[in-house]
Amino acid sequence: MSEYAIQMKAITKVYPNGTMANQDVDFNVKVGEIHALMGENGAGKSTLMKMLFGLEQPTSGEILINGQPTNLSSPTVAISKGIGMVHQHFMLVPSLTVAENMVLGMAPTKSGIMIDYKKAVAITEEYSQKFNLPVNANAKVMDIPVGMKQKVEILKALVRGAKILILDEPTAVLTTQEIQDLFAELKELKKQGYTFIFISHKLNEIMDITDRMTILRGGRSMGIYETKDVTPEEISRLMVGRDVVLKMEKEEARPTDEVLRVRDVEYVNEWGKKMLNKVSFSLRKGEILGIAGVEGNGQKELVDMLFGFNHPNAGTISVNGENIIGLNQRELREKHISLVPEDRMLYGIAADATIEENLISDRSGSKELNNGVLFNMGAIHRMSDDLIRDYTVLCKSRSQKIGSLSGGNIQKVVVAREFSNDPVLIIADQPTRGIDVGATEFIRKKLVELSRSGIAVLLISADLNEVMELSDSLMIMHGGEIAAYFEDTRELSDELMGKYMLGIEHQSPEEIRRVCHE
Amino acid sequence: MSKKNSIKFTLIRGIAALAIALLVAFILIFVSAAGENFGEKLSNSIAALREMLVSPLFKKNGSFSSRNLSVVLAGTIPIMFTGLATCIMFSANQFNLGAEGGIMLGAFVTALVAVYWKLPGPLLMVVAVLAGGIAVALVMLIPAVLKAKLGVSEMVNSLMLNYVIMYLIGFLMNSYLADTSKGITQTYPFQENAMIPQLVENGSRLSWGFVVGLIIVVLCWFFMYRTKWGYGIRMTGLNQPFVMYSGMNVALIVILAQVLGGFLAGFGGGIEMLGRYNVYNWKALPGYGWTGITVAILAGNNPIYVPLAALFMSYLTQGCSLMSTNANVPAQMISIIQAVIFLLFAAKQFLAGYRQKLVVRSAQEERAALEKGGNK
Repeated sequence: MSEYAIQMKAITKVYPNGTMANQDVDFNVKVGEIHALMGENGAGKSTLMKMLFGLEQPTSGEILINGQPTNLSSPTVAISKGIGMVHQHFMLVPSLTVAENMVLGMAPTKSGIMIDYKKAVAITEEYSQKFNLPVNANAKVMDIPVGMKQKVEILKALVRGAKILILDEPTAVLTTQEIQDLFAELKELKKQGYTFIFISHKLNEIMDITDRMTILRGGRSMGIYETKDVTPEEISRLMVGRDVVLKMEKEEARPTDEVLRVRDVEYVNEWGKKMLNKVSFSLRKGEILGIAGVEGNGQKELVDMLFGFNHPNAGTISVNGENIIGLNQRELREKHISLVPEDRMLYGIAADATIEENLISDRSGSKELNNGVLFNMGAIHRMSDDLIRDYTVLCKSRSQKIGSLSGGNIQKVVVAREFSNDPVLIIADQPTRGIDVGATEFIRKKLVELSRSGIAVLLISADLNEVMELSDSLMIMHGGEIAAYFEDTRELSDELMGKYMLGIEHQSPEEIRRVCHE
Repeated sequence: MSKKNSIKFTLIRGIAALAIALLVAFILIFVSAAGENFGEKLSNSIAALREMLVSPLFKKNGSFSSRNLSVVLAGTIPIMFTGLATCIMFSANQFNLGAEGGIMLGAFVTALVAVYWKLPGPLLMVVAVLAGGIAVALVMLIPAVLKAKLGVSEMVNSLMLNYVIMYLIGFLMNSYLADTSKGITQTYPFQENAMIPQLVENGSRLSWGFVVGLIIVVLCWFFMYRTKWGYGIRMTGLNQPFVMYSGMNVALIVILAQVLGGFLAGFGGGIEMLGRYNVYNWKALPGYGWTGITVAILAGNNPIYVPLAALFMSYLTQGCSLMSTNANVPAQMISIIQAVIFLLFAAKQFLAGYRQKLVVRSAQEERAALEKGGNK
């Protein structure tokens, strides 16, 4: 019997679109340990785990399970080798009971036809007791709390004979008490010889529960460490860092009047978790205010509040002195607020429509583009061609389907639309994620140019390079709060950023309050 | 994929679908054909298939029959309207199946106006048809508003609504409106000035409604592709969150599409009623709404292709009905054959592999062209 439950050797994964998600990664997990897999978003954690669970095949490299070379060609094979995966977004059927979910696809039957529900309940209760993971076998999954859903997911994997469990950000949706329970259960299972891979970027949890860790950055392994031998500072330095520094030439910002004013905004999500806690800041004309932070620390919720997708439980938000809470997107756009959305394929475009149709979506009712009841096609064509030229969108014509363009060109269409409607406030949420260098540079330059012309820009980005180079001043979000505010980004170091991003340090309320400019 | 390849694919796909459908039809006809032995069955089947394919246009002796053609054209009138109605509703991703009840209600309301409302000259005709359209537009507010405000499935609602309409009309006819001097349930005759004039006087019932239909087709195309409302409807169908994020009023668009669809179905019912009949006597749902769904799918939800799709369906229906009367093929077989043709056309994956090849070739050509351009 090998000392190692899993050995992944020199794994490289190149996706068909050319993205190199993992490069020469060595990853090994000892039997009976809790092993953390850490890294920022896009560091390659998910890809590595998908290969381990048979959802993706490595381009090159070798995987050994319990010392045996194994070809994990599908999840079925992975499960038969004793690997189980607990997904971050639960894979349960809400309308079925816990017991039914538990035996899904392997249901015990009476005389081979009817599902033996009693037996399913018995199996569920047996495992529930054996592993000390209390669940209510007869309750429907949609009625049980999130913490119990997770127990069901873990039990599901155990029922299928898993000895090695991959937990993908298991605490992301849990409350503090539920996290404590989960950790107690994991420690208990560990004693019984189960092995866990724990994906997370929450430092305190990692320090609390794991034995060893592997840190990924930019698709490469930064090494394997004993948890007791490393300090949070070292981890943050290994995890957060910049590979290449693209220097942006930009003039000194000369911020003037306040445009966006956010005060004491709070939001509790549908599971009762506080996602935003007393968030206050001001954004002024002519400046770029960056928001950095590990994803899932309230940035998404904040953007939702600012663009009418959701409403805060408390607090005020105003633009140029007028309240914007409760306004819909049309009313917000009438106030000249633009959003470059994080999910460009869902919100930013209609993939099956033409470039032109995507360019006019926010102004299809405007006087300039209409002649009475009919569209003024001449004006629409002119505007489209102008924007395609000004934003150097590489395409055959304005009537090409936008879905057939590259990511970078799609994003250029989105920003062309969002930047060209005379905005006073631009919210740029991950404006250059996953796009090529050329388009990235173009969009960044454009953002600086617009801010210098007197537009207020709020930049939310998980890309450290981007927030540090583009922003004039910078906030860091952690755990739904503003953890730090830096008036001038030029004196910031990666290390310092990392500490605040991972919650090792937190500024005083007075220091943070400076962002309100009062 | 380039436009040229796209057209090429559509054509090849259409022809292939038709060929396979005809083959299946032939096998079905052969199985049910009369005949003592194999040879006799075969020749009967060929005769039957020939009947289906050519008799809607030609006389027995093989010469062109303009009357047969006008029967086929007259058959396109109601399904053009239900096809347009469905096009617009489906474009917004609203799977409203109410065109069936809609055309019936439109016909009924138009008929009542044509019988009872004393209006001078052609004004009566215009008012009657518009009344039919408006009545159905109002009824479609039910599924539309429920969908937009409460998220209730418009498909279920509109489907049930068809039967509500049918039985309501049946009740009104039996209890209050039937011409008691007649042995069957029908209204009193329409006033003379309500009738839509015939385009050709050969008994084919091809009325000026056909021309009105073509005009509405063009108007619908302009509406869908040249106005902000049509644009909103199409974008909603493609990506609803995008429309919301862009600041358009999704609820209004969802309602507009269905109300407009209702209007077109009702309007078509009125045209059909005044162009073909002189009393109202429909007892059951006419089936034009269902065919309209087929028409809309064949036309790819683009109004401009609706006349073509309607012509195809009308031709097929006429051919099949002639085949069943003249060639002794059971009437049930007709529905099966129609279904096969429709299925092959509507199946997205049909020839998907071939399409992929064309796409790949297109992409390679583009890249080659780009590289060439880059070298210059």
